[in-house]
Amino acid sequence: MDALSKVVNLCPVTLPIAALAAMAACFAIPGYALSAQEHSYSEGEKLFALKVKPLLKQKCFACHGAGQEIEGDLILTSREEMLLGGESFDDVLIPGNGTGSLLYQSTTRKMDVYQMPPKEADRLTEEQTWLIRDWIDAGAPWPSEADQATIQEKYAEGVVVQTSGGLDDDWTYRRYAEKDLWAYQPLIAPEVPSKSKTAHPVDAFINRHLDDIGLTPAGPADRRTLIRRATFDLIGLPPRPEEVQAFLKDRNSDEQAFATVVDRLLDDPRYGEQWGRHWLDVVRYADSAGFANDYERPAAWRYRDYVIRAFNRDKPFDHFILEQVAGDEWHPDDPEALIATGFLRMGSWENTSMTVARVTRQQFLDDVTDIVGQAFMSHPLQCARCHDHKFDPIPTKDYYRIQSVFATTQFVDRKLPFQDYETITGFDEKEVMETRLRYFTNIRDELSAKESAAVKKWCIEKGIPNKSRAQLAKLGIPDEKLPPRGLGLTSQEIGIRKVGLKNLLRTTYEMNKFEPFALSVYSGVSPEIPLVSGKMVAMPDNPMSGGELDASYILTGGDPFAQGVEVTPGVFSTLPDSNESLDATDWNSIPATPTGRRLAFAKWLASPRNVLVPRSMVNRIWSYHFGQGIVDTPNNFGAMGGKPSHPELLDYLATRFVEFGWSVKQMHRLIMSSNAYRRSTEYKDRDRLQKTDPNAEAYAAFNHRRLSAEELRDSMLYVSGELNPLVGGLPALPEINMDVALQPRQIMGSFAASYQPARTPEQRNRRSVYAKKARGLLNPMMEVFNQPSPDKSCEARQNSTVTPQVFTLFNGQDSLYRSIATALDLLKKNKSRKSVVEELFLRAYGRQPSRTERSLYLAHWDNMEKRHEGLTFEPRSFPKEVTRSAVEEMTGASFEFTERLFGFDDYVADPGLGDVDATTRALADVCLVVFNSNEFIYVY
Amino acid sequence: MNSKLKRAQLEDLGTSRSLYRRDFIYGMGASLGSVALAGMMSQNASASEAAPGPLSLKTPHLPPRAKNCIFLMMEGGPSQIDTFDPKPQLNKLHRKRFTRTGENQSAMELGTRYYVQSPWTARQVGQSGAWMTEPWQHLPDVTDDICFYRGCQAESVDHPTALFHINTGNRFGGDPALGSWVTYGLGSQNQNLPGFIVLPNLSYPQGGTPNWGNGFLPAHYQGTPLRPLGSPILDLKPPVGITAEHQRENLNLLGRSNGDHLKQHPWHDDLQARMENYELAFRMQMQVPDLLDIDQEDQNTRELYGIGNDDTDEFGRKLLLARRLVEKGVRFVQAYTGGWDSHDYIKRAHGARIRGVDKPITGLIKDLKQRGLLEDTLIVWCGEFGRSPDNGFRQGGETYGRDHNAKAMTMWFAGGGVAAGTTVGATDEIGEQAVDVVHPIRDVHVTLLHLLGLDDNRLTYFSGGRFKQLSQFGGKAIPELMS
Repeated sequence: MDALSKVVNLCPVTLPIAALAAMAACFAIPGYALSAQEHSYSEGEKLFALKVKPLLKQKCFACHGAGQEIEGDLILTSREEMLLGGESFDDVLIPGNGTGSLLYQSTTRKMDVYQMPPKEADRLTEEQTWLIRDWIDAGAPWPSEADQATIQEKYAEGVVVQTSGGLDDDWTYRRYAEKDLWAYQPLIAPEVPSKSKTAHPVDAFINRHLDDIGLTPAGPADRRTLIRRATFDLIGLPPRPEEVQAFLKDRNSDEQAFATVVDRLLDDPRYGEQWGRHWLDVVRYADSAGFANDYERPAAWRYRDYVIRAFNRDKPFDHFILEQVAGDEWHPDDPEALIATGFLRMGSWENTSMTVARVTRQQFLDDVTDIVGQAFMSHPLQCARCHDHKFDPIPTKDYYRIQSVFATTQFVDRKLPFQDYETITGFDEKEVMETRLRYFTNIRDELSAKESAAVKKWCIEKGIPNKSRAQLAKLGIPDEKLPPRGLGLTSQEIGIRKVGLKNLLRTTYEMNKFEPFALSVYSGVSPEIPLVSGKMVAMPDNPMSGGELDASYILTGGDPFAQGVEVTPGVFSTLPDSNESLDATDWNSIPATPTGRRLAFAKWLASPRNVLVPRSMVNRIWSYHFGQGIVDTPNNFGAMGGKPSHPELLDYLATRFVEFGWSVKQMHRLIMSSNAYRRSTEYKDRDRLQKTDPNAEAYAAFNHRRLSAEELRDSMLYVSGELNPLVGGLPALPEINMDVALQPRQIMGSFAASYQPARTPEQRNRRSVYAKKARGLLNPMMEVFNQPSPDKSCEARQNSTVTPQVFTLFNGQDSLYRSIATALDLLKKNKSRKSVVEELFLRAYGRQPSRTERSLYLAHWDNMEKRHEGLTFEPRSFPKEVTRSAVEEMTGASFEFTERLFGFDDYVADPGLGDVDATTRALADVCLVVFNSNEFIYVY
Repeated sequence: MNSKLKRAQLEDLGTSRSLYRRDFIYGMGASLGSVALAGMMSQNASASEAAPGPLSLKTPHLPPRAKNCIFLMMEGGPSQIDTFDPKPQLNKLHRKRFTRTGENQSAMELGTRYYVQSPWTARQVGQSGAWMTEPWQHLPDVTDDICFYRGCQAESVDHPTALFHINTGNRFGGDPALGSWVTYGLGSQNQNLPGFIVLPNLSYPQGGTPNWGNGFLPAHYQGTPLRPLGSPILDLKPPVGITAEHQRENLNLLGRSNGDHLKQHPWHDDLQARMENYELAFRMQMQVPDLLDIDQEDQNTRELYGIGNDDTDEFGRKLLLARRLVEKGVRFVQAYTGGWDSHDYIKRAHGARIRGVDKPITGLIKDLKQRGLLEDTLIVWCGEFGRSPDNGFRQGGETYGRDHNAKAMTMWFAGGGVAAGTTVGATDEIGEQAVDVVHPIRDVHVTLLHLLGLDDNRLTYFSGGRFKQLSQFGGKAIPELMS
């Protein structure tokens, strides 16, 4: 202690004690010891040194320090300067009068003119403003630097976190509130509270908290409600009437009977479709690459199916991580592992002649670093890209060390035979695309021939060789003599040719989706010629030659052209036992060799020693079951994320998860068997509940929820009997709003082909998770019901109620055709009108109509039938072609381009209003009402 | 929307958890039933009386200089040199070799290149003496209402990333658009229409709908495109042959069914909100078409915007509609017109584009002025970047054009609070780089917010672990652009 205080007194600037301790050996010069350690400090002095000074430093000194630019001529770095005031005010600091001092007033943001700091994002909390006030009230004492350091040493709260080190020592040795560091604490199974009467560990934790806040939990949901809840939860569809009946009649105890239901649902292949979809939200799955061309990614769908299979097979989550992050290095001979690496390529990405290769490469690296942080560790790492993390102990160095793990990761479209567990039927689209290819080839050939003839004529006239313009230019023919581009073609033809050529290239590229490729990666040097989007990338003969091995640097300000210090691959050093600069082990060290980086990193992620990963995943599982996580920001466990409402429960689940061998299905069984999951949504004393638990995070009652976009569409298809149960395969092409389908879509220099739904109902009426998801053309029905855009990772769906949802569901085609199909199916399978209405209720709501309801719906059917009897409707028709008029950007002349819609040749349409009689149409009106009803769209 | 901090922030905004549960669109809030429904499509529905919804009016941070914004997006990147920033020096350099090197270049910018002159001469117009090239025939009438700005620099020469940047402040899609931020910050005067409306081309721009997406802001602030062809709002009308009375019958049964259901779940106020939403939608579907029917405007007005003339009809209709929307209290209207990407034949291509917008824009400014709306409306004209003084290999004559250029562009502003009658900033002799009053896009965004009464530093939303803002990490308002 003595040696340390000597150093403290020597030090010209205030440094946190930990820094000084580290430096003590170098700076310990004897003879300078002052008697500060004997001094006792006033509360005001302590307040200043511990709280106020750091606050001033963080929030004020940048503009009111002793630097170059001083705002308002006000300096806040010493008591004397403060007392002097600034150019507009003298009473910045009135010792003894906190509320009268501008220093305090301006931070309250209640003044009209002066609100400090100016950035709302930097605003002080109310508690922080009180610190300033109280310090001034205490006479605004300003102890010497040395005394400040001593106070820090003796009294400082908060914790210094060991990391690989920040860009400066202030950051490296800053202190964190312990409550913000919960996620980095060792993961140790907490003791299950024993006081509770229930045997279920989940309830033991939940009930202890309920007892603490004085809430009695709601009673159990009735079986009919519960099976609907669990079925939507696990497979995203309503229960079949016979499944409801079986559960109602099950004589076993509620627990046992429900366990049977849960087991059945977990074995259902539709389970993987529902829970795989959650993961696809997190990884931002899309079938296209985004940006200017938005090319369809030929093999993305194989990754989507891999995810669905992983959930269905209950792939241990640690393996799931290893395969997605490093499958090619871990099990290079396992097709599943190779397909899984598609994870690394899920972000939007494009490189074209209009982008800068180094910038787009960096974009990939930033994207993959961030998504690995969010998806597996619940830490958005991008906040540390330009500077050390403002709130969390994430040094920029770690950001670039983790990025370095991917510095040798290269894109490849791997040849990989289709496996017998993959679905490769439904390739009918190939025929449509081949026809389109022939069509564009003909256009190209015809117009090129015409141009060649004109060029030939031109060359003869000019007395130059008959060669292409580029060849002629090489020969040194002056510009004036070169044949103009598009010679012999009308402006119209030039436009058509350009659109045609683009489509030809695009279609050729996108047809690779019928070929056995995998969207994958390998480790090696960066290719000499940067990749250009729209071309398949073959595996190089030697991944280690033909280009540069990229070194990794801290990029100043995140700028790819501002290389700072070089870094080697590493892990997130803040986690326990992860800082190899303190203690290098196999576990926390990543080799700097070109290969093996990702595998080592993935092993670190997927280790039971990693405290973030199991917490992250069990929290996600919990959040999908309950509609909110124990930490209600599943992608962010940092200081700015939520805090766990039940920290011990979270750790209990995380440790069990690892004990269960990372089995997700076991976690479902554990969670769903709790009383908390099986509670009713109804609560008698609702006022008390809302007052005591305003954020509904005590789990006294279950939270109801609206169906997601996919669940809504799939459920309508399920009720109508049209849902094709086929699992997996190429992106499905359902009908979408026709205005949107046929809307011209700009791609670089041309239009993308129109969206054309698949020809047959079976191919169209697949589950929504299989529907093609092009970043530039989202299904408006999905969008309006809050399907997230695949641009960013989605941790939890929004559930807004917006008016366009009414237009979509009440006027739109999805609910219309599902209503007609439901009506047709019900009429086919029932003899009496009464039983039609009853079956509709059973299918949609899982219950019989009441007598009143039955007569009401029957009356409506009659009533609407009378209306319909006088009406006639046109049969559905589909365009064979669509004409685009466009301005040819290169020439400024407009042209018309007619696109043939081959997909509508031989199209088998769903029956429309014009195809069915008045009885069916009237019944479809009844079904439409049901599909729009709250009882259908909410789950309790 | 499920983090505690987000909730806390909602509470900051004067809403509450229970409102959050019932946040449904166009903000009729809890008292939809009691609001005078007849006034539905009229301006300024009694928002202040209703419980605050997501679009209810909010107090601006600063004294607003303009209330609404009409953003004219010249998609493709208009050439500053051939519109408002003439460079006679290029006449001397025409067809001389131009060299550009460096790692930070796209393939498009490299190779054998030549300086190219503008096909047009320019002249000074108005009292302010602003420069315009010959093809601008109408805009000179309103020169002195305009503040031209030559100092902005973009960061990307790629259409979608540059478009995302100017629309959302971020070069990669997924963040909220300017219009979303503005409606989030100010609310909207008309609670029955979206606060942010986009008038796109039939063909959406590169990058698609994220150009007007709400990003991490609640869905209520998303730009609503009014489609130029087909149904203006998707599924606004029931299937052909189904009448309103017919639908009313279905709606009645739905109301009954939802009412019975509500009795079993009396505490879930989102159920009530969803029921009210159906009634609102039913009225909207009858009244929106009326609002969009610009044939109601008199012949003089239509003529003013160039409606009926082949060259100007399309954009003229959009701008007349923009005026009608702003009149009805829509906060932010963005009108797209494309085709400015003139790599070749700039004389023909830009000539046609200027003809297409010249009269409609002039008409809009005149019309707003004569109605006393100009001072409350901020008009912005810009593309996603400017164009280069040079061009790749072309064979002379009129075939040359210009490539993309992030370092120089001209944008202009008119209406509330702008320094009308000035030209701010300058580019170098050849128009390649801005050299005076140079600012990045984020500063332009901060300025636009400022004019609308919003402080970028206070207009924040908590998402992904931090408070986010349009400028991403803060910016400065450009004082020269403001009066």
